[in-house]
Amino acid sequence: MTENGSDVVLDGNAAAGLLQEIFVLEVTTAQVQCAACGSTAAVGSLRLYAAPMGAVLRCTHCDGIVMTAVHTPHARWLEMRGARCLRF
Amino acid sequence: MTVIETAAMPGRRLEWQLAEVRDIGVETPRVKSLLLHVATWQGHLPGQHVDIRLTAEDGYQAQRSYSIASPPEDELVTLTVERVDNGEVSPYLVGDLRAGDRFELRGPIGGYFVWTVATRGPLCLVAGGSGIVPLMAMLRHRARRNVRAPAMLLYSSRSLEDVIYREELDAMARRDADLRVVNTLTRKWPTRWKRYRGRIHKSLLAEACFPPEQNPKIFVCGPTRFVEDVSGLLVELGHDPLTIKTERFGP
Amino acid sequence: MDKAPVSRGFRSRQAEQPTKDRLPPGQYVTMGFPVLSAGPTPQIKVESWNFALQFGGSLLGKWDWAEFEALPQTTITTDIHCVTKWSKLDTTWQGVTFDDLLKAVGLAKPRARYIIAHCDGGYTTNVPVADLVDGQGMVATRFEGLPILPAHGGPARLLVPHLYFWKSAKWVRRLRFMEMDEPGFWESLGYHIYGDPWKEQRYDGD
Repeated sequence: MTENGSDVVLDGNAAAGLLQEIFVLEVTTAQVQCAACGSTAAVGSLRLYAAPMGAVLRCTHCDGIVMTAVHTPHARWLEMRGARCLRF
Repeated sequence: MTVIETAAMPGRRLEWQLAEVRDIGVETPRVKSLLLHVATWQGHLPGQHVDIRLTAEDGYQAQRSYSIASPPEDELVTLTVERVDNGEVSPYLVGDLRAGDRFELRGPIGGYFVWTVATRGPLCLVAGGSGIVPLMAMLRHRARRNVRAPAMLLYSSRSLEDVIYREELDAMARRDADLRVVNTLTRKWPTRWKRYRGRIHKSLLAEACFPPEQNPKIFVCGPTRFVEDVSGLLVELGHDPLTIKTERFGP
Repeated sequence: MDKAPVSRGFRSRQAEQPTKDRLPPGQYVTMGFPVLSAGPTPQIKVESWNFALQFGGSLLGKWDWAEFEALPQTTITTDIHCVTKWSKLDTTWQGVTFDDLLKAVGLAKPRARYIIAHCDGGYTTNVPVADLVDGQGMVATRFEGLPILPAHGGPARLLVPHLYFWKSAKWVRRLRFMEMDEPGFWESLGYHIYGDPWKEQRYDGD
């Protein structure tokens, strides 16, 4: 619950609406392993940046980007190089 | 809702639905609760949130997320909104909105930050400011279901007048011997305030929360800094990080 | 497509309406200065800051903070337009123009047609050189006369105000010439490769 337009750090819970447009299964409870440092966390607990432009989800241990999602009028984009795997 | 799931049901597509304001209640000078009728509502779990979308006459749109304050047992969906200075959406919701007004809403969203009575074990809730909202849905659900399992709420607010749901929480705690509510005030307190003052620190958490041996389910919600500080302290106190769920609301 | 239902009485924050010509399509004027970042704000000390111009693997020029400040400074007042629809009018910036960077490294002509900006924190964005020369682009160090705040990209950010503001990369450290246009961070995720607000080129496919 926040006003976009200031430098706020939220978490994967706030990106759930956007991500749930792509994933069939409930995504915030999915466990994701960071490809950079190997730590595992629930998607809902990742730090969220850049909210109005898209969802950049970062590892709470190493700050590396785990996944990024963007919803444009033409397509939905999901980039997950920073995730070794997702477990639903 | 007759069936309780411990996680949000998978496979449901999120569609924009129409919400109509039925009633508006004042919680504190900056906070109001909006009671909404959503004809196509499918139910929700305590802790989940919705995205709302406002459209102006000229087509301009703004979208925000708000936690659901009402338990699934309620017919109306309640959102509790704090007015943010210089905000774009909250001053409208808290200042201009009237009964009968409508806006779009989609949800419920989020299966991570969720608790229902089907979950065993003591419940430990830590709230900072408006972070109380999703935790209140959990407590209201617990009260409606008449569940006896122990629960506690540690709630940090700036001043007494900023304690959202204050009377309801006092009444809940009075009626329920298994619920303990601990308030701390950080900026201003009444001269005869006998309870806690100042920010939440390690010893307050140790005293207020169930010890790690009791394996409580812990939910922390509030400003980002608050959530990260409190979670860190809980881990230092010996709680397993996997038992701590967090939701950050921004600064 | 169905029109979204209008919420009675809701309007965006807006200053008094400027003339239509100043606002690209779909934009709204803001009096604030929203911060949007793809990651945590890097805390950069100017004592260890440096800035480089590169072509391929070779270094065309490198400056530390004192050297950079000693380059010719230019002040401009311009409007900026964010792809998230806010615009800010009459903003004043000071820094070193791309033209002056080229002069400083002795280049009469740019080495290639495109650049990619590399920034602290890992952000990148691509810009055609044609959109940087002739005073169109600079590396800015001051906003409204004061050092740019870290949250807004300080100590130095790229400034290319005639394109959407995601191209004005915060915390810029290097500009590297490229022969081919390669998409940067947002351009690789669905945003437009060029980003002209007047043509409303927000997304790939616009």
